[in-house]
Amino acid sequence: MNLKKGLMALIAMGVMAIAGQASAAVTCGDTTGQAATGAPIVIGGIYADGAPGDWSSSTDAAAAYFACVNANGGINGRPIDYRVENDQWAPEAAAQAAAKLVNDDKAVALVGNGSFIEMAVNAKTYKDAGIMVMASACAISECFESSNIVSTNEGPLPSDLGAALYAQENLGAKNIACIGLNIPDNGVWSCQAVIDMMTKRGGTGSMALLNPGAPDVNSALLEAVASGADTILMNLPAGLAIAVLKAAQEQNLRDSYNWIAPTPLYDLSVPAAIGDYWDGKVYVQAELAPVSVNGPDAQNWLAVMDAYGKKDDPRDTFSQGGYLSAQFFTKAALAMDPKDLDDRAKVTAAIKGISGYKSDLMCGPYYVGDADFHMPNHAGYIVKITKGGFEVVQTCTEYDSDYFARHIEVEKKLGLR
Amino acid sequence: MDRSLFRITPSGASGLIFAALAFTVLPAIAGSYWMSVLTSAACFTMAASGVAFMYARLGMVSLTQVGLMGIGGWVALRLNYLFDFPFEVNLILAALATMVFGWILALPALRMRGLYLALVTLMAAGGLEILFSTFQFPNGGVGFWGVKIGSTDPFRGPMLAQTPEAFLRYVIGMTTLGFLLIEAHRRTAPGRAWALIRKSEAAAMAAGVNVTLYKTWAFGIAGLLAGASGALLAASLGLLDDGTFRSPESILLFALAVVGGSRYWLGPVIAAFLYRILPALLNTWGVNADLAYVIFGIGLLHALITAPNGIAGQIFEAAQALTTKPRGQK
Amino acid sequence: MTRPSLINWALYIALMAATMLWLAWGKPLNVAGMFITAGLAVGSLYALGGIGMVVLFRASGVLNFSSGAAGAAGAMTAWQVTQWGVWPPLAWAACILVALILTLAYGRFVAPLLAYRETVVKAVATLGFALILLGLVSFSWPDDPRSLGLPTDSIGLTLLSLKVTGTRVLAFLASVLICIGIYAFLGRTQIGLQMRAVANDRDLSALLGIPILKVETIAWAIAGLLAGFTGLMFANLIRLEPVVITFMVIPSIAAALSGRLDNLGLVLLGGLSMGVIESMLTLSPTLKGVRPIAPFVIAALVLLYNQRSSRLLFAGRS
Repeated sequence: MNLKKGLMALIAMGVMAIAGQASAAVTCGDTTGQAATGAPIVIGGIYADGAPGDWSSSTDAAAAYFACVNANGGINGRPIDYRVENDQWAPEAAAQAAAKLVNDDKAVALVGNGSFIEMAVNAKTYKDAGIMVMASACAISECFESSNIVSTNEGPLPSDLGAALYAQENLGAKNIACIGLNIPDNGVWSCQAVIDMMTKRGGTGSMALLNPGAPDVNSALLEAVASGADTILMNLPAGLAIAVLKAAQEQNLRDSYNWIAPTPLYDLSVPAAIGDYWDGKVYVQAELAPVSVNGPDAQNWLAVMDAYGKKDDPRDTFSQGGYLSAQFFTKAALAMDPKDLDDRAKVTAAIKGISGYKSDLMCGPYYVGDADFHMPNHAGYIVKITKGGFEVVQTCTEYDSDYFARHIEVEKKLGLR
Repeated sequence: MDRSLFRITPSGASGLIFAALAFTVLPAIAGSYWMSVLTSAACFTMAASGVAFMYARLGMVSLTQVGLMGIGGWVALRLNYLFDFPFEVNLILAALATMVFGWILALPALRMRGLYLALVTLMAAGGLEILFSTFQFPNGGVGFWGVKIGSTDPFRGPMLAQTPEAFLRYVIGMTTLGFLLIEAHRRTAPGRAWALIRKSEAAAMAAGVNVTLYKTWAFGIAGLLAGASGALLAASLGLLDDGTFRSPESILLFALAVVGGSRYWLGPVIAAFLYRILPALLNTWGVNADLAYVIFGIGLLHALITAPNGIAGQIFEAAQALTTKPRGQK
Repeated sequence: MTRPSLINWALYIALMAATMLWLAWGKPLNVAGMFITAGLAVGSLYALGGIGMVVLFRASGVLNFSSGAAGAAGAMTAWQVTQWGVWPPLAWAACILVALILTLAYGRFVAPLLAYRETVVKAVATLGFALILLGLVSFSWPDDPRSLGLPTDSIGLTLLSLKVTGTRVLAFLASVLICIGIYAFLGRTQIGLQMRAVANDRDLSALLGIPILKVETIAWAIAGLLAGFTGLMFANLIRLEPVVITFMVIPSIAAALSGRLDNLGLVLLGGLSMGVIESMLTLSPTLKGVRPIAPFVIAALVLLYNQRSSRLLFAGRS
């Protein structure tokens, strides 16, 4: 298939070009080179794979990192037994997945979750069970507004805001049409934030919503065009955003609008999938550092995926997010007394105690803390899609919005600012 | 033969024993995962009983049962956020509201039969799917639709059943009540009227049966059961998603009711088993859940071509053959 | 099977035109035109699906729920074949061929087992076949964003400063031409005559010596070809996703219902107007969210209108 072939070629190129030595020098956990043999520690993860898309990139990456940890001494000699469940984009399956991992498998933490529904259904389950979820591909508000969920990605609200602000400040956008999924805590939530921001800054905005079950991107695109917008924001999973761009190409709409998107379109396979027509015309907010930033952690991520992941696992923001969550969990677990690793309450306390973890993949420091809301990552990059790749046009930027006031408050208290 | 309302038949006795066993044993032995699967299976058993009863008693094909569940769930959620009623009040009101919707759906049915009726219900299911996906389910917002942007507010479940175990028992109890309601109807005036209508509407009319009333009544009962099961599903999850109530799901539930055997109490149980438990089993065994569709399809063709009474019919016929002494060749 | 009165036709057209006018009122012509052309393409697909359904229903009494699934199987096969780098026209042929073979197989081997059952049972049985196909197709091609390009995507004509791709034109022309072609086929040929006879009374036709099996096989073949072609167009124009293509039969049934499962001209008109109204509802700020409901509402209204004077009378074949 095109997408994946292009992706693999790119990965191969990327790894050869920027991390020739990295695949040999993968670092995970203690990097002992010795396989862990002790009693396994059960960790869970929930991803979403079903119509309208496959959202398993983050658990794939977490699985790759944990496999690497297990081959490198584990958590003080104990391997991680990473178990993933699919929520199929359906609330019943989501509840069942959490019931299984949290209550039946007695996981001590969940790592790498990525979903559009799971967090809304299970937030209470997690709180009642006292388990922490270190998510990585959160798409809904519950994920950022619950006591026991924290994510390495930003979610659609900051990501959309970032893309929209860039368009407003640099591309002259005055009227943004936000094409999103008709899910109150996802598409509507984040599109509304963009509209509010535009209104506050003297512009306007509108939303065109897609039915997640039977998305008809052409109608949504027409609706966006009919709204009189000058900028179109594709607030969608990558597959659907690509479909929007394809429909726009058929109508030759490229030069009449600014095209912007949140982080799902930052996937190394996307430039090849959408073709040369879009060269230099699509701006994407990246929640975590683009590959070209090329810090040691970025190289390590690609090397881990290469050595321990599957060839067709996506190399996108959510993969980075899954890698980071797994890495941060591992770091926190390594600092614990090995005896306490089977005690969920102590693991939860250790995760809540995380503060000031740094990675070159993330703009700011990562922290958890004890609050009813968590969004440690809320600054990002803007990249432009070019022939066969991405070009960074704006580095780490914080977004001007009241939404982040309470997060900044917490960061000040933790001494991270 | 004893025709009284409270007569217990062998099939009825087996059903009651099954319900009692399910009530006592399942919550005690199931793990958390299976508890969750069984709870949704129990909800869908109730919905399937409505569609099976329409097909078995009146020969009417309803392809909108899961859509009706959505209405029940919608009303329950809306009331939950609007008033401080206990869950039971919301449950009853949701069931009644869905019953009224069933009556509305019955209007075209009074003039149509067979395929056309099935297609009208399918159009209704298609329409409901769009309404649910457009307006979404209430999550604590204000206004008629009750949808707010952002996170969902909590849903009050039944006071009696705060733990998953208790809630599973609660749903099993409610589903049993639903079965008893259908059986009570079957044994009284409506049941006799339906039997006559199924044989021949002309004969029923000639015999002075109010065909309009009893057909509408049947739609109402199917709606009532769907509404109650939708409200229970909402309580089990705390929220609903339009994906659960798409029109293919309604078609599937009807198909599985036929596979299970619509004439027997066991039929809807088998339907719900196939609908919710089989995919979970395949998932546990690591088999691709898409293959469940293949099993459903083969089961449906098999049931339609060779086993008109479905799996339940085959089981009961086998049981009968075992219990009655052979009387030589027929 | 009476001919629909001219008044009904005129009434339907007038109502649809009025609705479109109301929706487009005050909008620039090219904006309205954009929605009309988009709607005509989608409507053509509804109509094509509906025409295949009606041809088969008239000849065999089977309302085929599996046409979408057969189209999905065909479209996924075509995608797979193009991935192998095969010459694209072969892939498109493969799509139609797969749908044809699957539909014929059902029509030849399974449908006869149910020939004397009620129409609703026959319809539900095709649903069983649809589920089997859907399961196998979803199993073979797991969820993934895919697309199926056609050379007509890149060519197009410009109408009223609006670019219309060749594929949309193709879908529209195909629906009109196929409708006319089938109409002529049923009216002018021996087989067509026999098909109408079988549709009228299967038993009597058999007594008259009409080769029922042959006639039905041809009807299934037409249904299969249309399923394949519709699947290919749908995969290109809307989405290449097995579940979505499989359940496009539901709006197709709506189109078929608007022609009372009988009149091909009305099916075409119904399908096209459903597509256009659905698309144009986007222009209404209050109704834009519920636009996909248009086919169902129109079909339900047509059904109720057609049934307005009928009463439940003594049973016959329903």
